[in-house]
Order: sequence, then C-alpha cells, then structure tokens
Amino acid sequence: MHITGSSLRVIWACLKKDLKSARSEPLYTLVSIILPLNVLVLMSLLVISGGLAPTAVVMQDTGPLAQQFYTAMSQAHSFVLQQATADQADTLIQQGKIVAVVTIPADFDARIRQNQSVAVGVKINNLNTDFTNDIRRALPLSITGFYAKAEPSVVTITPQERDAYPQDLGYIPFLAVPILVIGLMVGGMVQAGTAAAVEWERETMKELLLSPASRLAILLGKTGAAFLIGLAGAAVVLAFLIAVMGIWPVHWGELIGFTLLILALFTAWGTLLGTWLKRRTPLATLAIGLCVPLFFLSGPFGPISFFAPIEQLVARVFPVYYAIVVLQHAVHDFTLNTSGIGINVLILAAYALGGLVLATIVVRRSTLAH
Amino acid sequence: MREEMRQEAPQSYPTETAGVPAIELRALCKAFGILQAVDHLTLSVEQGEIFGLLGPNGSGKTTTINLISGLATPTSGEVQVMGYDVRRHARRIRQMLGAVPQETALYEELSAWDNLDFHADLFGMARQEKKARITQMLDLVQLQERKRSRVSTFSGGMKRRLALARALLHDPRLLYLDEPTLGVDVQSRRAIWDYILSLRDQGKTVLITTNYLEEAQALCERIAILDHGKLIAVDTPEHLKQTYGGSVVELETVQPSAVVDDIRRLPCVQEVVQEGTSLRVTTQGGSDIVPQIITLVTRHGELRQIAVREPNLDEIFLRLTGTALRD
Repeated sequence: MHITGSSLRVIWACLKKDLKSARSEPLYTLVSIILPLNVLVLMSLLVISGGLAPTAVVMQDTGPLAQQFYTAMSQAHSFVLQQATADQADTLIQQGKIVAVVTIPADFDARIRQNQSVAVGVKINNLNTDFTNDIRRALPLSITGFYAKAEPSVVTITPQERDAYPQDLGYIPFLAVPILVIGLMVGGMVQAGTAAAVEWERETMKELLLSPASRLAILLGKTGAAFLIGLAGAAVVLAFLIAVMGIWPVHWGELIGFTLLILALFTAWGTLLGTWLKRRTPLATLAIGLCVPLFFLSGPFGPISFFAPIEQLVARVFPVYYAIVVLQHAVHDFTLNTSGIGINVLILAAYALGGLVLATIVVRRSTLAH
Repeated sequence: MREEMRQEAPQSYPTETAGVPAIELRALCKAFGILQAVDHLTLSVEQGEIFGLLGPNGSGKTTTINLISGLATPTSGEVQVMGYDVRRHARRIRQMLGAVPQETALYEELSAWDNLDFHADLFGMARQEKKARITQMLDLVQLQERKRSRVSTFSGGMKRRLALARALLHDPRLLYLDEPTLGVDVQSRRAIWDYILSLRDQGKTVLITTNYLEEAQALCERIAILDHGKLIAVDTPEHLKQTYGGSVVELETVQPSAVVDDIRRLPCVQEVVQEGTSLRVTTQGGSDIVPQIITLVTRHGELRQIAVREPNLDEIFLRLTGTALRD
C-alpha cells in the first residue's frame, strides 16, 4: 500500500489521462459539473413545496382587531396568506389553488370588545391531510397569538424562551447544508463511478491491469481526476448557496476543508461502486437512488438525536450523517452531535480511505479473467 | 526501421533469464466451479519463438493466456515466464509482457500519441526516451501522420497497428497477440504479419491465438491445439500434417455414388465426402493408397480428374477436435 516514486508517476498519468478524456467529451463533463447543482435545486424544491399552506382570508371587518388577527395568522409559520373577497376565495378553493378560506366576520371587532364569542369561518380543502392538519393546528395558535397581543391580561401563561444559539435560523438555510452534502455525494459518486465503470465497458481496464502499475496508484489517479472535476461542481453549488440563497458561512476555512474531504470521500466510494458494478447505468441509478433516503435519514431538518434510536443507529452507518454534522458546524456554527468535530472528521477520512482500499480489492486482476 | 528498433531497444534484459524457456507450464489446472477450463496443461515455449495457441471457443486458450499474464490464478500447477514464477513475480512478468488483446483496449477518445504516452507512463519509461520511442513506434506502424487524430476516427486495421505499437513500446520480451488480424483488411493483415515476423528477428517471443489457421501456418513455428482445456497436440505445422494428416485425394468421376462404399471399405480411409461428381477421400497413411482408389473408380466409369495433396490445418484441426475452428 505504500506509494513509491513510480507510483506517483502512475497516479499522475491516470489523472492526466482521465482529465484529457473528460476534455474530449465536454458536454458530458459539463453535465457532471452541473449535476450537484441540479440535485440542490431539486431537493430545495422538494422541501419548499411541502412547507406553507396557501390560504385566502376574507376580511369582512377591517377594524384594528381584525387586522391584528390577520397579523397573528401571518406569524404562525404555517400560512401563505392572501386577502380576497368571498367570491374570489370560493373560486380559488374550487380551482384547488388554496387549501383554506378563513373568513373574519363583519362584527369581529365589536364582539371582541363586548367580550362576546366570535366564530371565524374556516373552509378547508381536506384533500391532503398534511395541509389540513397544518390549518387545524395553526388557526388555534393564531388565536392564542392574537389574544397574547390584543388582550395580554387574558392570556396569563407565557413561554420563557432561552435559545441555544444567538440567532434563529431559517428553514431553508438549515436545509441547505444537507442538500449541499447530497449534491456533493451524487456529483462525486457519479463522476468517479462513471470514470471507473467506463474502463470496463470499453474494455480498457485490460490495458491498466496488464501493466506493472499498482492497482492503488491507478485508482488514486482516477479518483484524483474525478475529484478535480467534482471540485468544479462543488464550487458551482457553493456559489449558488452564497449568491442565490444568501447563506454566508461562519467558518470559511472549515467549509473549504470539509467540502474537500467530503468530495474526496464520495469520489472514493464512486470509484468503488464503478469498479464493482462495471457499468455506468446501474452506477448512476444507484447513486441517484441512494440520495433521497440518505437525505431524509441523516437529519436534514434537525439533529438525528430527535429520531427514534433505531433510526439514529442506521443514520450513523452512513457517512452522509457525519458530513452534515461537520458542514453544519462550518456553515452555521451548529454542533449536532457530542463526538466533537475532530472525531467526525476522522470518521469521514476513514470512510474515504476505506472506499479506496475496498476499490483496490474489488479491482483484482483476476476480475478480468472472465 | 527494424534495424533501428534493434539498435535502440530501450532496456537491457537480465542475463539470468538467458536460456530458460520463455513460457513454461507444468501440470497447469484452472477450474471455475465444476468447469475445468485448463486441465493439466504442460507446455514449453522457447525464447525467440512464434508460438500459436489454437482451439475452438471454450477450449481454454483465453484462460491459459490469463494464467500466463497473471490475470488469473492457477488452481494447481505452475506457470513460469522467463524463469519467473507468475505467482511470486507477477509485476516483473508484466513488465516483460506486451499484449494486444482482441478488443485492442485503446482509449478511443484520445489521440494515438496520447494512448502511447499513457502506456509509457504506466510502464515507467524514462521521460527522455519516451518521446523518441513513441515516434519510432508510430513510424513502425505507419501512423506518424495520424498521431494527433482521435483513435475513434481510425479504421479497424489502424487500431490493430496502434495496439501493436503500444504493446511494443516498452520493448517487451514476450508479446501476446490475441487474434492479431481480426477484422483487418487483407493489405493491413500482410503488414501486421510482416511486423510479427520481424519480432522474431529481434529475439522476441510471440504467443498468438488465432482463428485463422492460414495465419497460424504463416507465422507460427509451433502450434499447440487445445480442446476442453487439454493439450491435444503440439508441434510444427509441418509435423502436425505428417503426424495427423495422412493424404487427401480429390477426384472427379462419372458415377461417384457407385464407388463411395467400396472406397470407404479400403484400409486407411478415414472419410469420404461426395459433392456432386467429386469425391474427397481423407486417408490415414501416405499416397500409396491412390492406385487402389483409381482401380475402384475406373471399374465403374471414367476417372476425369485426380489430385493428391497434404491436408490443411483446418482438416487436421477438425480431425483432432471434431469441430471446425470457427464453430
């Protein structure tokens, strides 16, 4: 396993050869570079689309208390509100464009002032229980919020919040990190796996394995080329996160270092899968197929310690979890487990090394003999 | 050009391998589950020899080659290349081996030069000699003018020639050519044969597998015939013909059907094939049976034409293995 001078030359030769091959197929290479960004956009759309319930509010009373109730609804983190007339709201719900119509009655202010009960009408399109339950939970919350501000003496129970972090973090900025990790995973694995599998598909693996060059040196060179191409993809994704999503990392050094490590890990595993599967189609299917379950398994919405013990155990088997932990620290200064960042980094490095060693074992010369 | 190659060979070989066989297989076996791909194969190829390995599909040729090049591990038995045991000195053996696989294994998206440059790096060729050697090899296979062209734009013959140049680039002592002229036009085939024959002049050992018996006859000093993993015969093409061939009598008569059975009953007659008014009689012995055949034929009618010839390798191969080579 030691690397000698001649091995370094083989590594460089394989790296150079793969980069030349990539340059000779610019369209394919461009698609590979854009792939992580594509995954980022896709996953972002997936999580954003499941967020807030579009709701129309019919304001039959426009008094100050009715306005306050509307404000309380808008602060419930569950609605995308729009004001409409009763007819417009009916049309919207019939067309399936909104989940609910909330009607604030004409005597809302008057009845509140007279301490009389008020019936706020709610018409729900209960086709999707997820959105329906959002409405059912959020409306009572809005009522409590309204009373806490409008009639503080009525609501005597108030939460005393103490935050673990100095600032709140939005839903999307938190999710951006797991999505970034998944983007790096798909990009790195597809790029490296394709470069390895194509040697089998085009039967050029024979040229490599009939040479006296060591298998490790050959694979290191190939993984290195995939890493460099993957780096371009990672740069595009990071630029998108910063410039478009407005996420500004807390620890720049960590972000760069951890991104390189994570990319190295996934390119090593891509090489392993490519040499194992020996075909590009199943490789791409597997890499893309793995990304969604691993994304949801590895704590995209919060630490995995919020999960059931069995889910935590399974999540810890995959490097995606550790990658999310270190990058959440780099980007948001969050600490998502108690192992310490150093241990998480060591685990990731071990996974990267393990991927390469396994690939070296898989690519035994005898595998060419059939 | 050949002279130039001899003078500028890039490396000298260790003297301790002088005199030992280039390839020595002793009781070599390779099994894949219940399939015995190579069955107690014992064979020796001398240095500087062009040796042909023939056999129908599934006869164990490829497995034998894989065992020699270290791409497969023997179940039992020994493989030595230039005196080195394949199991213990695999890397050293690969350094001495040049291979032209059937599929050529060229990087089609790269240029001819880049393919050779990459190969030189894999084999650890010194930088200062690399450029000169690549130029020399491209000259040898007459691809100098296409050195910057992508291999994907090459014809089948050009690819074969480039694969040959690549195999020779690191000046191997043993060259393995798998179907060296498969899919190559007649003109290129001749050129490749000339290259291969010139290698013998340089003291290189060449191991060829081919489905063209004409090619084996033109190139190989000795031929081994394998079937079901076993060695059926090994000798020079001429000796094979003498030992296993007998004679083939081809004749034309008015009523061939009338004499077929009589000829079959003659001693030493192996096979009688009738095609229209022609008969092809394969005999086990020499041409002394010809007068007896003439007597039988003329008894039933006119003998229009008769010729006696040696059997070709196809016929010997068919006799030894019971199948044609390209079946």
